[in-house]
Amino acid sequence: MAPIIRVRKLEKCFGKLYVLKGLDLDVEAGEVLVIIGRSGSGKSTFLRCLNFLEEPTAGTIEVDGVVIPAGEPSREHRIHIQQIRAKTGMVFQHFNLFPHMTALENVIEGPITVKGMSREEAIEIGERLLGWVGLMDKRDEYPSRLSGGQQQRVAIARALAMEPKIMLFDEPTSALDPELIGEVLDVMKRLAREGMTMIVVTHEMGFAREVADRVIFMGDGVWVEEGTPEEIFDNPKDPRTRDFLRHIL
Amino acid sequence: MGNTSIVAVAQPSAEAQRVLAAQQAKARKFMIKLALVWVGIFVVLGVAFKLLKFDMNFMFDRLDFILAGIKYTLLVSAAGISLAIILALLGALGRLSKNPIANGIATFYVSFVRGTPLLVQVYIWYLGLPQIGQQLESLGLSGVQRLLTLPAIPAGILALGVCYGAYMTETFRAGIQSIGKGQTEAAYSLGMTPGQTLRRVILPQAIRVVIPPIGNDFVAMLKDSSLVSVMGVWELTYRATKMGRRYFRSLETLTVAALIYWLMCIILQTLQARLEAYMGRGERR
Repeated sequence: MAPIIRVRKLEKCFGKLYVLKGLDLDVEAGEVLVIIGRSGSGKSTFLRCLNFLEEPTAGTIEVDGVVIPAGEPSREHRIHIQQIRAKTGMVFQHFNLFPHMTALENVIEGPITVKGMSREEAIEIGERLLGWVGLMDKRDEYPSRLSGGQQQRVAIARALAMEPKIMLFDEPTSALDPELIGEVLDVMKRLAREGMTMIVVTHEMGFAREVADRVIFMGDGVWVEEGTPEEIFDNPKDPRTRDFLRHIL
Repeated sequence: MGNTSIVAVAQPSAEAQRVLAAQQAKARKFMIKLALVWVGIFVVLGVAFKLLKFDMNFMFDRLDFILAGIKYTLLVSAAGISLAIILALLGALGRLSKNPIANGIATFYVSFVRGTPLLVQVYIWYLGLPQIGQQLESLGLSGVQRLLTLPAIPAGILALGVCYGAYMTETFRAGIQSIGKGQTEAAYSLGMTPGQTLRRVILPQAIRVVIPPIGNDFVAMLKDSSLVSVMGVWELTYRATKMGRRYFRSLETLTVAALIYWLMCIILQTLQARLEAYMGRGERR
């Protein structure tokens, strides 16, 4: 089967800063890929390039059959970006819930505005998803009244409401108090078990070991080492990987 | 644990209560003194009016005549602020636009209008525009002169709206920029277009931010609407000066006008406070 994500020679520069140095990646449908590495190594930038929150400087990104080469934003280019975004959900470090909408309104916003779904139908989906992340009782609360863990679970429900084929997680637990990390990771584990294709940038090594099919260690804009969680965590080959793991574990 | 400590937990100690009472007494005293100062100011003013031989009866007799100007003042201000809000929204989008034409026009608009006196702008709309019409007419565009020769009230509304629109452009721009980048990214990641993101996510939040400054601008405009009196609109200031000059009682009539403006501003500020409370209901932090 063809991979659902195919990245070729991806490069990203911020001005003179060379961040991503020609990355290739294939991700199979249903795979859970965890990317680890020091801050500043380009993990988040890579993830954000996948749905074009950052425009790649060079290279090609293919998501579920939609191929977008890096380049000047033409009309066609923008339409393709829209298509890729509709297929991928994203969860942010700082949740980024819409503060002027209740939990349910956050979740149904995408289906109504982007897909043109009727409000009734969207509410049905929204309530099911809020129930799935265990927050049905918070349906009418504004984000400011929710804990960080609850906000992040609403954010996951919001992303899932678009019925994405791929979920991108950008350090989803880094802004959370330690006691709230577990509830978010639990939701992510259930999502992985249900067969969602996931790319997760995280510092939660326990999660990576338990859930990941593959772990990539990234350093300085290149893939340093990749393998199964066992290979990476128990038997890292590259000295940089060993050094990183020694510091974080 | 002894009985006394439970009592101590249940309510503040005598010492704490004494301090609390003293603090409250101090706050009360301050309020009383403040009220006295205000009363004092009015007494002094009253005495001054007496010494200046203020004709109170005259003021009361002419009150109706001057008050009748309120409807023009309010008409010009309300229409002006509506126009300003529309222009400010367009201006802000232009200033934030990556389209060089939109950005250039918006930047020129803000710079030129903010850099020229409102009074000059009022005259340009009222006296300058007909001249442009005349020239265009002579170039063969028939009917343009009539179109560009504006009666005083529309000219005043345009002058105030265009002028305040330029100031408020910067307010709106700041309001839009105050909404974090993460909001746009979250909307984009759901597949929203830039237009949808603006309408559904950015503007509803930005409007909350800009309501207080817009309220201030409206209050300022209410007062600047007095400038349209130079075109002979029968609003508050025009009526006050007209009546004052005729009877050589300008101080009286202008005082009446000033008090009316003041009262309107107080009412507006109260309404603004209520609106802010209402708009802020989702934002309990």
